[in-house]
Amino acid sequence: MSHLQLIRPEPATGATPARRRKISLDKVAVDFTTRGKTFRAVDDVTIEVPEMQFLALVGPSGCGKSTVLNMVAGLLAPSEGSVTYDGAPVEAANTRVGYMTQKDTLLPWRSVADNIGIAFELRCRKANAAERRERVAEMIDLVGLKGFERHFPAELSGGMRKRAALARMLIYEPETLLLDEPFAALDAQLRILMQQELLRLVERRQMTVILVTHDLEEAVLMADRVMVFTSGPGRIRTERDIPFERPRNAMELRFRPEFSAIHEELWSELKDEFAASVERERRAQ
Amino acid sequence: MTDSSRLWLQRAILLVAILAAWEACARLVSDRWISSPVAIAERLAQWMAGDLWYHMMITGTEIGAGLAIGIPLGVLTGMLLGRSKRMAAVFRPFIVLMNSLPIVALTPLLIMWFGLGMQPKIVLVAFVSFLLMFFNSFSGARAVDEELMDTLALMGASAKERFVKVVVPSCLTWTIAGLKNALPYALIAAVIGEMMLSRNGLGHLITRSAQQFDMTGIYTALFVLMVVGGLINEGTTQLENRLLRWRHLETRGR
Amino acid sequence: MWKGSVVRNRQKALNPRVVLVQQLAFLILLIGAWQFVSGRLIPPFYISNPLDIAGVIWKWLADGSIWVHVRSTIVTLFMGYLVGAALGIGLGLALGLSPRTERIVAPFIAALYGLPKVALLPLFVIFFGIGLVSKVALVASVVIFLLFYATLAGVRDIDRDMIDGLRLMGASGEEITRKVRMPAILPWLYTGLRTSLGYALTTTVVSEALSSNRGLGFLIEYSASQFHSAGVFAAVVVLLVLSSAIMVPLGMLERRSKPTRLSH
Ligand SMILES: Nc1ncnc2c1ncn2[C@@H]1O[C@H](COP(=O)(O)OP(=O)(O)OP(=O)(O)O)[C@@H](O)[C@H]1O
Ligand SMILES: [Mg+2]
Repeated sequence: MSHLQLIRPEPATGATPARRRKISLDKVAVDFTTRGKTFRAVDDVTIEVPEMQFLALVGPSGCGKSTVLNMVAGLLAPSEGSVTYDGAPVEAANTRVGYMTQKDTLLPWRSVADNIGIAFELRCRKANAAERRERVAEMIDLVGLKGFERHFPAELSGGMRKRAALARMLIYEPETLLLDEPFAALDAQLRILMQQELLRLVERRQMTVILVTHDLEEAVLMADRVMVFTSGPGRIRTERDIPFERPRNAMELRFRPEFSAIHEELWSELKDEFAASVERERRAQ
Repeated sequence: MTDSSRLWLQRAILLVAILAAWEACARLVSDRWISSPVAIAERLAQWMAGDLWYHMMITGTEIGAGLAIGIPLGVLTGMLLGRSKRMAAVFRPFIVLMNSLPIVALTPLLIMWFGLGMQPKIVLVAFVSFLLMFFNSFSGARAVDEELMDTLALMGASAKERFVKVVVPSCLTWTIAGLKNALPYALIAAVIGEMMLSRNGLGHLITRSAQQFDMTGIYTALFVLMVVGGLINEGTTQLENRLLRWRHLETRGR
Repeated sequence: MWKGSVVRNRQKALNPRVVLVQQLAFLILLIGAWQFVSGRLIPPFYISNPLDIAGVIWKWLADGSIWVHVRSTIVTLFMGYLVGAALGIGLGLALGLSPRTERIVAPFIAALYGLPKVALLPLFVIFFGIGLVSKVALVASVVIFLLFYATLAGVRDIDRDMIDGLRLMGASGEEITRKVRMPAILPWLYTGLRTSLGYALTTTVVSEALSSNRGLGFLIEYSASQFHSAGVFAAVVVLLVLSSAIMVPLGMLERRSKPTRLSH
């Protein structure tokens, strides 16, 4: 990494100028073998994510969204095609990204606070105790877990665990976020609040984001670009730029007529895929 | 409160009833085989004023020294071997075989090697606790949640950091389960060693009494062993509760 | 969606053939090193050597003298095991179904459980003499407690609410036993029966070594007392064959039917 790259460009407003390519998947396919049968989970997926872009992936369950994130995180190698990050092929666990997996992976023997602060215990991000405590308190505040610092994950609700996992990832401010259904277990109000908080943070820190979600509304509210996947094997059915300004106010955006128009347009695409996936599952039974 | 005090009262009554019946049997029929509670209490007092503590110290030292060698070695080798895919695969059949062998069967061999003193018992306790801890932490290391390992890897944790922060604590459940076996088993192993050939220790108290057909001595020694064994069991349970609070929460939540 | 690991298809799978070769290599190396070291670095008095041990085993097989001991061990093991299991399960059911009594006697049972049972052997020998009965009694005394606790845990595991629900739906007592009680208890019983078999074998061998004139435990102890180390190791090898023949299939069974709980 050169020093130049550490200095982030101005935050983008409106139309995006040509930015450096951050993540790229080139004609990627993934085969899985289970019980002796090989099947294709993801097929011919090409995605380019420029620096500081917020990309949302939507698609029916089982279409390969998590699989795509796993490849970007370097936890899964593509069967065909290539995955690069910052121009270099991803070959091992990608420590430049923060990955919030679909299943929260909190360490069950650590309290909430100790889970959130764990990154600062690692040699590569070492921080002294005072600093760590301060940052942990800050994050706990941000995700609304005040009063639960000393609780163990088993004592939290599903939504609280998700928020703790989010805080643990955000605390070390990775340059890229991979978010797999981060708000799935939250109630509607909390969800809106958290979306807003996340937007603020991402915009302030100029992070690159790939968000996987079932919720088309969430995708349109938060992302610069939405990709719709076909039901398995996952391919890209459509993609669309979302032209709303940054910084965004997700709370009021959802009441704008342009928002509804875009939502409706994407929904008509997604609807077919949902129908197809339901049909496929019915046949499989 | 009242409920639990009533329970304890009932238990006390039961205990007194058993002891009274025992004493009555001894007085009215014969105390030749069953001795009697009073005689046992007297003998216990006599021993406590005499060499009981010496024998306890011997057994305690054997257990303590054996565990001090066996536990850390077993835990560590188990975890390291369990984390290496190839080593685990290669050694699995040997481990399974060793696991099925009654290890205390080797006591005569150890006595043949090390003779009469504490040495063979220490080695036996160390060997037994090593194996028990090894099996447990080996399984524990195999059962580590790989997603937790991946999470830490993505944060930039080195292999060593992942081992310390994920493998070791998640093996802890298994290690504690191992301890729950190993500690009582250590007492058993030491006693077996002492019963087989020894001039001191709690096991020796039993065989010494038995050789003299001293029934009161046998029962008194059994009583002492029961207390020691009970304390060890209680201690491990307390330790488990303290160390595995998160685990209890987890299973209760389900 | 995806269970277990976030995928690690980057790691190469182990080649089972290579693993097998490595296992054989380890075994050969172990035996070879033993043979080499014996008499060169360590006196054979201590560790004997594989060839001598094989010779002893061969002799025992040829003259058939080993079978007395094997048979004795098996008989003691299974008699003690069966008696102990029957008593333990019976006691567990009885006390499990009368929780009030169980609560009163619990500390007494726990106290007896804490006693290292081998210490009872001299007592049993005085009562029953040296021979099968005292050994069986000792093995049974170990197995009883394990199965008592397993059965008790199983009875406690029975879902009261489910029984009430089924009653409301008009299920008969026999149906409830078959559909709710048995399925709740069986896994516990199975685990108890399996773990106690190992303890039973250990106890059998120890009781043979301590006071007996036959059995593999006796053979080990006798050879050791004669300072006949090849005999000791030969008896241990026979015991290893016997114990793995009994225990290993059980271990495999376990892997197929997953236990419901970690441990009690
Ligand atoms: N490790 C694996 N082994 C075998 N099959 C897998 C594995 N991981 C995923 N799959 C399969 O690949 C397909 C895509 O899985 P993936 O988890 O990426 O879906 P998804 O889009 O994230 O679904 P959801 O929205 O339900 O989370 C599914 O059919 C799944 O069963
Ligand atoms: Mg998914």
